[in-house]
Amino acid sequence: MDVSQYLEIFIDETNGHLQILSDCIMTLEKEPENMDVINEIFRAAHSLKGMAGTMGFKRMQRLTHDMENVFQEVRSGNMNVTSSLVDVLFQCLDAIEAYLDNVKESSDEGTDDNEAIIKELNDILAAGTGNASEEEKKPEPADDKKAGGDDKKYSKKYLEIELSEKEKEELKEAEKKNMSIYGLTVFIQEECLLKAARAFLVFKAVEDFGNIIVYNPSSQDIEDEKFGVDFSFYMVSNEDINKIMEVAQAVSEIEKVIGEKMTYSELTAAVEKREAAEAKAAETKAQEAKAAEAKAVPAPQAAATSAAQPAQATAKKSTPGKPVTNRTVRVDIEKLDALMNQVSELIIAKNSLVSIGSTSDSGSGGANSQAFHEQIEYLERITTGLHESVMKVRMVPIESVVQKFPRMIRDLSKKLDKKMELQMTGEDTELDRTVVDQIGDPLQHLLRNSADHGLENAETRRKRGKPETGTIHLNAFQEGNNVIIEVSDDGNGIDTENVKSKAIELGLITPEQGAALSQKEIIDFLFMPSFSMAKKISDISGRGVGLDVVKSNIEALGGDVEVKSVLGEGSKFIVRLPLTLAIIQALMVEVRGEKYAISLGSIETIEEILPQDIKYVQAKEVIHIRGMVIPLVRLDQLLDCAPDETEKESLTVIIVRKGDKFAGLIVDELDGQQEIVIKSLGKYINNSTKIISGATVLGDGEVALILDVNTLF
Amino acid sequence: MANNVSIAEDGKKQFIVVKIGSEQYGIDISYVDNIVRMQKITRVPKVQPYFKGIINLRGEIVPVMSIRTKMDLEPDEFTDVTRIIILKLEEHGVLGILVDEVKEVVTLAPDEIDKVSYDAKNNKSNFINGVGKNGEELISLFDTNSIIDETEAV
Repeated sequence: MDVSQYLEIFIDETNGHLQILSDCIMTLEKEPENMDVINEIFRAAHSLKGMAGTMGFKRMQRLTHDMENVFQEVRSGNMNVTSSLVDVLFQCLDAIEAYLDNVKESSDEGTDDNEAIIKELNDILAAGTGNASEEEKKPEPADDKKAGGDDKKYSKKYLEIELSEKEKEELKEAEKKNMSIYGLTVFIQEECLLKAARAFLVFKAVEDFGNIIVYNPSSQDIEDEKFGVDFSFYMVSNEDINKIMEVAQAVSEIEKVIGEKMTYSELTAAVEKREAAEAKAAETKAQEAKAAEAKAVPAPQAAATSAAQPAQATAKKSTPGKPVTNRTVRVDIEKLDALMNQVSELIIAKNSLVSIGSTSDSGSGGANSQAFHEQIEYLERITTGLHESVMKVRMVPIESVVQKFPRMIRDLSKKLDKKMELQMTGEDTELDRTVVDQIGDPLQHLLRNSADHGLENAETRRKRGKPETGTIHLNAFQEGNNVIIEVSDDGNGIDTENVKSKAIELGLITPEQGAALSQKEIIDFLFMPSFSMAKKISDISGRGVGLDVVKSNIEALGGDVEVKSVLGEGSKFIVRLPLTLAIIQALMVEVRGEKYAISLGSIETIEEILPQDIKYVQAKEVIHIRGMVIPLVRLDQLLDCAPDETEKESLTVIIVRKGDKFAGLIVDELDGQQEIVIKSLGKYINNSTKIISGATVLGDGEVALILDVNTLF
Repeated sequence: MANNVSIAEDGKKQFIVVKIGSEQYGIDISYVDNIVRMQKITRVPKVQPYFKGIINLRGEIVPVMSIRTKMDLEPDEFTDVTRIIILKLEEHGVLGILVDEVKEVVTLAPDEIDKVSYDAKNNKSNFINGVGKNGEELISLFDTNSIIDETEAV
């Protein structure tokens, strides 16, 4: 067996534990007396230590070990949680995360010993408990006590192990060499998902001390997870059994380890009892195969101690080791992508059928074409359903991204010396996995921006009659085919006059131009590359690689950013993201014979207007419709089509919407609604205007371009 | 770029000979994924002028480039021998280039290829990294990688 196959589990779990630690420490800072939280932290630190140890990451183990020591003291009431302790703990988390990153990249924890942090931890420990950092922890006494009470539940199953001649020889040899023989049975928590991995980690841990002679069930069965919640083994070692049991216990999700030192004669006596009853097993292999059966036939001792055991054992046989409660499957994202591609192809094929159907039935009617149409509609329903299901599978809550933010705001609060808190709502809003993976950085940037530029310091806030603690609010929700994430703060808001003068200073506009700019146009300067309002550069923000990156990142995901700001009251950044990146419902339109697709999500209404309805405002074409003045965009001009001289009696206008802004697109023809698969234009085409966001293959094999109407505003 | 070119056992290389205008050009066969007939090219607005547009190649979107426009020759004229050569370039994916006609496949030994010296004044020769002699005829050999130079791949 090889550790690398468990690396992924290790990384996953460590991430999980780190998140728990981070959350708990945050809570702990607010409620230093909360015993539940302290216990939770202790448990997580303990598991981390165990896992790091078994995976052979000594530095990580050492660090977590020291963290655990500190919590041991906190738990037993010898120490109080102070702000400095919390700071150091967060440093520890960062260090562990750094180890984990190294592990992810190179399967190695790296070489940073983090001595400074460890020293700080120990200093705190020493100061807190009043004695020098004498190690007085050792395994939790509570567990030892529990062992007594739990003996009934945990029978000494290792006594049931059958031994072959060869194994007996080995044991005998070992005893001759003055090594001790230990019999151990390990019980894994019932809800554990990867029992084989746990078993492996246990073996790996104990093998540091000696050799395992025989397993029950066989090592192959253990590897294949063909066992219940326990497994037993005999090993020979020079170490003390308590030490071995301790390391085995340290593996996470191990419920209990029982074991004792045995002599060879005791061992053989137990075995012989059973051997007398059973046919003599000749070869090791045959015996190992039987090992599983042996479990169902409880040894006399086991039967005596626990009556429930046989029933349990037979029950286990019918459902070999798989927990019933957990009904989820982990799937590689690449497999999902492959599935998604196939669904896309299916939709294209379906669209071809639809277009064949609509052209062939014009001439010959009849029952055949009726049936054909019904089947096509049926197929359409299925493919739409299939698409939705696949999309749902790919959806994950944004929680995984935003959960690290409270910690970040806390750090920023210290660093900037401002009081602030982060409120989050709608963390359960779901987005496509690929979007979620990439939304973290832009959001982080916006939060930093709010913390650094938005919120005022406590003094200013007091003067303005605001609560001293600034509030940053992160809110996510779904709106139609989009997901909206809002980052708002109750800080200073954007000083547009300041921005304007900065823009003039940078030579982006002349003062005269500046006077004519709207609030929104001024705010848009903030999204320009290398435009920074920070008076001095800090490591938080101010390098001018900020909002423009946010904007381009979000636009790359097919979304957009909008800002609303009231000077003195705060600002709100609104990020709008598409639910999915792969397949959309679109309206097909024709402009001078060229086909374009417009996402249905952004279409508000479709209007038929007369040429004389077009009015002019500031020499731009607008229409006045239902009380709104909407600017018009002639798509043929925008897309550099050949000019059309013919006068039209009426114009088809598609009213599109982005946020609270509207625009009317003039098109020649409407070709109906279609489900389209978005494909990239490839890397060669320099699509700098971004009007075309992609292309799609239509049912008849023709290619249509997808218009991104968001770029028109 | 010579080390990027596929080398047959005895150092010979195979080239697809195409006609663009009055000249013959050779394209290293190892970069050629496919040769397809002229089909409907969907124009993409607001892109580099030498990009004719995109085509649907068995469900994949493939951009198509006009070598003529890129080399400042007169615009393409589409006939029934016009072909689109689909090139597969490492890292950059698939790209189609328009040629007037596909003639044949030739095998050239190293001594049949003359290197051309780089001429900074003439942009056109940037795409050519050698001249092959096939009997009496001369074939300009495309440097496939420089057809799309790095600065243009976005």
